[in-house]
Parts: sequence; C-alpha cells; structure tokens
Amino acid sequence: MEYILHLLIFISIYILLSQSLSLTSGYAGLISLAHVGFYGIGAYTAAILSVNYSVPFLVTLPLAMLLSGLIAIIVSTISLRTVDDYFIIITLGIQVVIFSVMNNWQGLTRGPLGIPGIPSIKILGVSFDSKISFLLLSMFFVGIVWFLLNNITRSPFGRILIALSEDEIFTKSLGKDVYKAKIISFTISAMFASIAGVLYAHYISYIDPTSFTIHESIFILSIVIIGGMRNLWKVALAAAFLVLLPEVLRFVGMPNDVAANMRQIIYGVILVLVIFRSSDRIHKGKTAIEKTSKKSTVN
Amino acid sequence: MQLILNIFVSFSLLLIVSFSFHLLYQVVKFFHIAHAVTITFGAYFTYLFSVQFSWHLGAAILLAIFCAVIISGFMELLIYKPLRRQGTSSWKMLIASLGIYVVLQNIISLFWGDGTKSIRTWAVKTGHNIFGAYITDVQIITITASIMMFVGVILFLRFTSLGQQIRAVSSNEELSNIFGISSGRVILWSFVIGSALGAIAGILIALDTDMTPTMGFHVLLYAVVAMIIGGVGSYKGLIGGVLLLATAQHLSAYYIDSKWMDATAYIILILFLIWKPLGFSGKLLKKVEI
Repeated sequence: MEYILHLLIFISIYILLSQSLSLTSGYAGLISLAHVGFYGIGAYTAAILSVNYSVPFLVTLPLAMLLSGLIAIIVSTISLRTVDDYFIIITLGIQVVIFSVMNNWQGLTRGPLGIPGIPSIKILGVSFDSKISFLLLSMFFVGIVWFLLNNITRSPFGRILIALSEDEIFTKSLGKDVYKAKIISFTISAMFASIAGVLYAHYISYIDPTSFTIHESIFILSIVIIGGMRNLWKVALAAAFLVLLPEVLRFVGMPNDVAANMRQIIYGVILVLVIFRSSDRIHKGKTAIEKTSKKSTVN
Repeated sequence: MQLILNIFVSFSLLLIVSFSFHLLYQVVKFFHIAHAVTITFGAYFTYLFSVQFSWHLGAAILLAIFCAVIISGFMELLIYKPLRRQGTSSWKMLIASLGIYVVLQNIISLFWGDGTKSIRTWAVKTGHNIFGAYITDVQIITITASIMMFVGVILFLRFTSLGQQIRAVSSNEELSNIFGISSGRVILWSFVIGSALGAIAGILIALDTDMTPTMGFHVLLYAVVAMIIGGVGSYKGLIGGVLLLATAQHLSAYYIDSKWMDATAYIILILFLIWKPLGFSGKLLKKVEI
C-alpha cells in the first residue's frame, strides 16, 4: 500500500511537471529542455530555506515560485531572440548552466553531496508526514494547476499561444504581442514546475543535483510529446504510464541499474516512434501552413 | 605557455567535432544530436577491439571508425530518411535525434557500464618539453591530425565532384535535385564523412583523457555552441568560435575553477545572443528569412 501511494505521489509530481511544460511546448510551440532546471530551482529553494532558516512551507512555496519565475523571465527574454532549433539548443544550455550551479556552488547547495534532512510539510500546525496525507496535498496542487492550465489554454491568451505556434507572422499581423506572449507562457510554466520541485524536496527529504540533469529534461519533454503536446488529459496519462513503466521492469526481475538504462532506452524508442506517427498525422492538410510558418522572421 | 598549449590542444579537438557537426548540419538542416553517440562509439569500439580483444591499436582504430560510420549510416537510412520523406519539420527531427541519442547512449552504458574506461595500455610518459611547456605524443598527434583533417575535408569539399555535390545539396536541396544530383546519396555520403570525423575525434579524446558514455554529448554541446557563436556557413567563423570557446574555457579553468567550464561556454553563448545574435559571420538565422 505504501508503495502504491509512493508511486501515486510521483505520478502527481510528474503530472505537474509535464502539464506545465505542455503550456510552453505544446500550446506555444516552444520546445524547452530547461524545464527540469526550474523544477530544480524550486526544490533547492525549498530545501535551503527550510533546512537552514526553517522557513515554513507556506512561505517557501511562493518564494520558490517567485524565484523561478524571475529567472524564467530573464532567461526567456534573452533566449526568445532565437527561434525553433536554436531555441531548443539555448534551453539545453540554460539547463546545463543551472545544473552546473547546483553541482558546483558548494557554499550554497553543498554540490554533489546534496541537502539532507529537509523537514516534512507543516501547514497551520497540520503535519503532512504520512504518505496518504502527502498524496492528498500533492493531488490538491495537481488539481489547482490543472484547473489553471485548463483555463489559461481556453482563454484568449491561450488562443494567442496556439495561433503563434501555428503561424507567428499571421498572429503578429493581428496585432498580438507574440514576444510577450511567449515570455509569459514560459514564465508561467517555470513557476508551476517549481511547485513540483518544492513538493519533491519535502517528500524525498534529500535532494542532490543528479535528480535535475538533462536526461530528466528529455524525459519530461518526451512525456509531453507522447501525450500529444496539447492535451492535458493525455499528458497526464502519459506521465502515469512513463512513471509506472520502470516499476513494471522491476517486477519482471531486472536488476536496478539495468532497469534504469532500459527505462531510458524504452522512452527513447517511444519518442522516435511518436515522431514517426505524429509527422504522419499532423502534416496531412497542414503542409501549406507549415511552409509559410517556416518563413517567420526573427524577433 | 602550458596554458596556450592546452588551449591549442582543445581547440583542435573541438574544431574537428564542430566541423563534422557543421558539415552534417548544413546538409540535413537540423541539429543531429545523435552525432554525440557516434563520437562515443568511436572511442568505445576502439576500447572493445584494442583492449578487450587485444588487437593491434591501428587496426582497432580503423575498425572502430568503420563501425561508428555504419551505425550512423543506419540512423540516416532507417530513421532520418523516412522522416524527411514525410516532410517532418526540423525541430521534430531534432527530437527524434535526441531519442536516438538516448537509446544508443544507454546501450553503451549497458554494455560497458557507466564508469570511466581507458584505451591507454602503455605507461604515462611526461611528454616533450617545448619552451617550458609539456606536450604528450598523443597531443601532438591530435593537433596534427585535426588540422590535417580540417584542411583535407575542406579541400575535398571544394575540389572533388562529390564534395561539390555535398555543397550543392547544403545550399539548395531542391535545386540540386533538379540538376540531377541525388540528394539521398549525397546526404548519406556526408553522414559517412561527418561520422568518420566524429569517430576520430572521439578516439583522440579517449586517447588524451579517458572515456565515459556521456563524453560525446559533453563535447558535442561545446561544438554546437562554437558553431552558433561562429555563425553557420563560414569556416572562418567556425574557427573563430572554436578558438574563442577553447580560450575562454581554459582561462576560466585557470583563473576560477575547472568545474565552471560548462557554465562559461553557455554564458558566452548567451552574451553573444544579447550583443551579436547572428554570430561572427552573421549567417546564423538565414534559414528563417522571408
């Protein structure tokens, strides 16, 4: 039972991460590999504040969101000067920089040693140390984020995002501020990712930089791609599927280190297959649009 | 003096990786991230043949380059070519390539483990002394081999028929098809050349330092940064970008700490994006012109 609860908590953390990435990568069409960076910023903010200064959860959560939002604004203002593939490479770079700060700024983050002993969450005297209560808490956050994302994507702003990912020039010609919309969506998704980070840090009670590597970023991106980019429900299902997959491998009786590699191999294969399928489907009847949108100018 | 020498060694390594990546990028027009795994395969196959099978090092190297080329040829034939035929947009190709990278890198980890491996079976020598700096035999070979390959491939691209076809396809694929150049064949050949260069670079890196399954990715990221800094489509820009990156890395390693080398590379990239978003040569974002 404990084990199932543990898996459910992980699924909700990954649902948070992948749905928030779906806002930038799916709706706005900005493929970001820096998402785990913001997840890590959230986790480290929570860990450092609660371990060193014993700041309560209700304060660390907004602080973590603010911090990662701030960094996201700065980073996206710079990186959104580029487009398409270059943007992906830049976000990869941002991810590497954030990781190397976590790994090397030993005065603050204790580097590869990680931060142990993160206290469990206490809200107004109620402590969330049992698994079932933590699951309820994280599902509460998943619910809020899901609700917000659902509303954002259906709002006029969400339609701007979809429009700009389809045809940037056309959206600009309607008088929409494309650059600003992109920055806003990037920032919102970074802030949501940091919620997942805070939850993760308090749940595991120990964090180190290896949880926030580029491979994790690729993993979350593949959840979003497998989930069909613009569908919150399917993204959530894909998250559950990909989190449960390695557990199945473990039941089959694979040793742990082989299972870790097998998990990555499987999601790599799925990623390639999905690209094969998607290009088949999406491109029918859309080639003309695609051709014009390829010619969009640089900001 | 030692610092200048080190910069020069990593400059020549990075130049080859960056050059091979650039060659492929110009032809296929997307970031072939799985090139990283070609680099790694070069090193690991050499390890397999020379250390595990204890064959002669030269034969092992040749065979390793061959195997790495075969693997990347299969990537092109089995995955990229069908995708290109469907008209997949370049970011999706990038994601597919990332998927291939993840799969193959983990296969390497499965076979050889995540630990550090070394091809060197000979004793470590204190290299030759030139003007107060030490240089090992491997580093001399690295520098000469890289520069020879760089010049050689540029001459090849300029003066042979196949090279000219490669350049034709990289400048305009449809037009060269009209002129009777089979772009599929040309792309396959550029994969062969680019992957051979990548594999050689991987072997040189493994000879100089050691190897881990993620070494290719690490080097490739620097190479991509150098390419973007230099601007796509110009060899001078490429050399400039690689030189700047190698210098900045070693200076930061020397004055700050070697662990900040990754961050330095990307901070340079970000600074470039702020002040000179088109790279040295100004050809960076050509593909998105109206």
